[in-house]
Amino acid sequence: MSDFAGMEDLLQDFLQEATDLLSDVDNKLVDLERAPDDKGLLNDIFRGFHTIKGGAGFLSAAELVTLCHLTENLFDLLRNGELELTPEIMDIIMGATKGVREMFGELSQGVFPKPAEEYVIRGLKTALKGESPVVEEPVATPPNNAPKVKQEAPPQTEQGPDWVAMHAAITGVETGTSAPAEEVSAPEATTVPTVEVPQRAEIKKPVAGKPAELGRRATDKPATTAASRRMDDKTRENTIRVDTARLDQVLNLSGEIGLTKNRLTSLRVDILAGRDDPETLHALDQAVSQLDLLVSDLQNSVMKTRMQPIGRLFQKYPRIARDLARQLGKDVELVLSGEETEVDKTMIEDLSDPLIHLVRNAVDHGVETPDERLRLGKPAKSLVRLEARQEGDHIVIIVADDGRGMSAERIRAKAIEKGLITEEEANTLDERQSLNLVFLPGFSTKTEISDVSGRGVGMDVVKTNIQKLNGAIDIRSEQGKGSVFIISLPLTLAILPVLLVLLGDQPFALPLSMVREILPIERSKLQEVGGKETLVVRGEILPVMSLARLLGWSVENPPEYGVFMQTAERTFILGVDSFAGRDDAVIKSLEDFRPRGVAGVTTLSNGQIVLILDIKELLADLGQHTERSSIEFT
Amino acid sequence: MAVDPKMKFLVVDDFSTMRRIVRNLLKELGFTNVDEAEDGAIALQRLQAGGFDFVVTDWNMPNMDGLTLLQTIRSSPNLKHLPVLMITAEAKKENIIAAAQAGASGYIVKPFTAGTLSEKLNKIFEKMGLA
Repeated sequence: MSDFAGMEDLLQDFLQEATDLLSDVDNKLVDLERAPDDKGLLNDIFRGFHTIKGGAGFLSAAELVTLCHLTENLFDLLRNGELELTPEIMDIIMGATKGVREMFGELSQGVFPKPAEEYVIRGLKTALKGESPVVEEPVATPPNNAPKVKQEAPPQTEQGPDWVAMHAAITGVETGTSAPAEEVSAPEATTVPTVEVPQRAEIKKPVAGKPAELGRRATDKPATTAASRRMDDKTRENTIRVDTARLDQVLNLSGEIGLTKNRLTSLRVDILAGRDDPETLHALDQAVSQLDLLVSDLQNSVMKTRMQPIGRLFQKYPRIARDLARQLGKDVELVLSGEETEVDKTMIEDLSDPLIHLVRNAVDHGVETPDERLRLGKPAKSLVRLEARQEGDHIVIIVADDGRGMSAERIRAKAIEKGLITEEEANTLDERQSLNLVFLPGFSTKTEISDVSGRGVGMDVVKTNIQKLNGAIDIRSEQGKGSVFIISLPLTLAILPVLLVLLGDQPFALPLSMVREILPIERSKLQEVGGKETLVVRGEILPVMSLARLLGWSVENPPEYGVFMQTAERTFILGVDSFAGRDDAVIKSLEDFRPRGVAGVTTLSNGQIVLILDIKELLADLGQHTERSSIEFT
Repeated sequence: MAVDPKMKFLVVDDFSTMRRIVRNLLKELGFTNVDEAEDGAIALQRLQAGGFDFVVTDWNMPNMDGLTLLQTIRSSPNLKHLPVLMITAEAKKENIIAAAQAGASGYIVKPFTAGTLSEKLNKIFEKMGLA
């Protein structure tokens, strides 16, 4: 059972908002290391802890209040210039933000947070006294240090009566017993900062005869079970924050659709009654066209509610890069750009791990140590860029470093040594294909896996995760100048523009993003190269693969049309019998029984069910028995 | 003159969860006509547009903090009569003195319950001669 029964909604709101706030604080801390005297930053961070503390108080999360309170006080001293920001203090502060984050984790599981680690609390208190804290991060947390922390904390209420009287004296407002002293509802035993926090029973105390469910609206009631279920599901955040303007648009459009539906209902009555005069038919035509437009607008609007700025994901990374760089003795600045680029929410979540891996990889393997950089005539500080932007119907995410770059030669040698490719195969690979070898399972450029990047997750997992999102990843690298990882993703996963092609009478859907053009195949122009059919298109020799053969069908008639397909890895002509046009496919996944080579299904306007082909998978299957080398590494 | 349950509140806080908490507490007390602002500067714009009867504001906010908002309200001829309840996280002497000197109608320390809020509001209403 949750410790927050009846407050789930408030808790969800708090966690979502406070987590964003904490990420912001984390980023500002990274900035602060570079500009320790920046008053603006100090103020912002102070306010961040202050705000979290305020919210935590209403949730009765006493330990969170304590931790934020101490940290906030420390920043108060820092911003007033009463204390200087030393690396030791910085470490304590970093420990405190880590503690706050862990407490958010506990809150999201519906339990009151445990006390912060003792070294953090002790460090904060020492720093507050103006002494230099000794940072000893214990390997294991002492089992229960709560009582100790509580006793040490100065009783805050001591001054209570004093300022109450003061206020009364100044304002002339009789505060009497209703002064904050009365707000201290906790039992007298607790003489901790937490006394400010009323016990939960108090919060829920009925007021004016109404149940005082703090932070909840009466209309929220049915959501209770859903909310508690949500809290059990720790793996995924199941709530989404949507700009009300976007929601209003959805509401507006569904209203319009309702009106159009009414119009159609009344037309149906007319038509069923036998009216088929031009006027009625024209009205029908108009209503259907209007519905068409409205539904596609609605689809777009609903899609937009799922779009989130990628900055929410990006903001976690500067801290990760900073911590890792410090650990490795490197000086790295992570520069973010394009944070406002919007990406489907599911994608943001699934991108988190691959991007963490790429960022860590750039800091760990990509960039050199300051000494090495100076020796090479580079600035000591290395830059890692994390960028996002929209290009047409794709989102492009770039992780770039200005480090040592990757050597195609060494990567090939490594792949051979690991037995991933043969020497013969290696010789056929160009620069780009060689770099892409790092995505092979079992590949790691460093002989011993560092405990930093190599945490059992390899680049192959990065690539698999990106491909699961219908995306692609590519590498550019220049030795001595740095490496760039380029991820390209579709805008959304729910709707896929497709080209419908026919084999006999059977339609199949191909992702339109891979289609460059459609051309007729004239038998006379086909040329055999190395036993394979090819076609020369504007000087480029392209292999022709018949879709029938890819699907394992018998090829009865030679294909009449070729679809010029371009994937991140290769270009080729897909031979089909005919094509039926383009469509916006609403993808229905076939999660449990998905055959290889099929990405999903969609329904055509006539009700026919069409398979959406996964060309990459089909090619990979084909490659396994016929042309292993050319496909495996791409 | 009695307290009008339709009186319009402006809740000022940069933390939306906190605005929601205050809004809900006000609702429990029967005040449903509540508007929100994210900081002092935005609050001031809304107040200048008119129609508000009561301001409940946080202290620590970006752009314009609660104290500056209060001072600005008290120095604006058209707003100076507005009751302003300050919310603070700190029960610190100097904070309360500063609030009082700037002309706060009352203050309340986080976290608080509907009961406490009700008492604070009633005190202010009494002073205004409403209750």
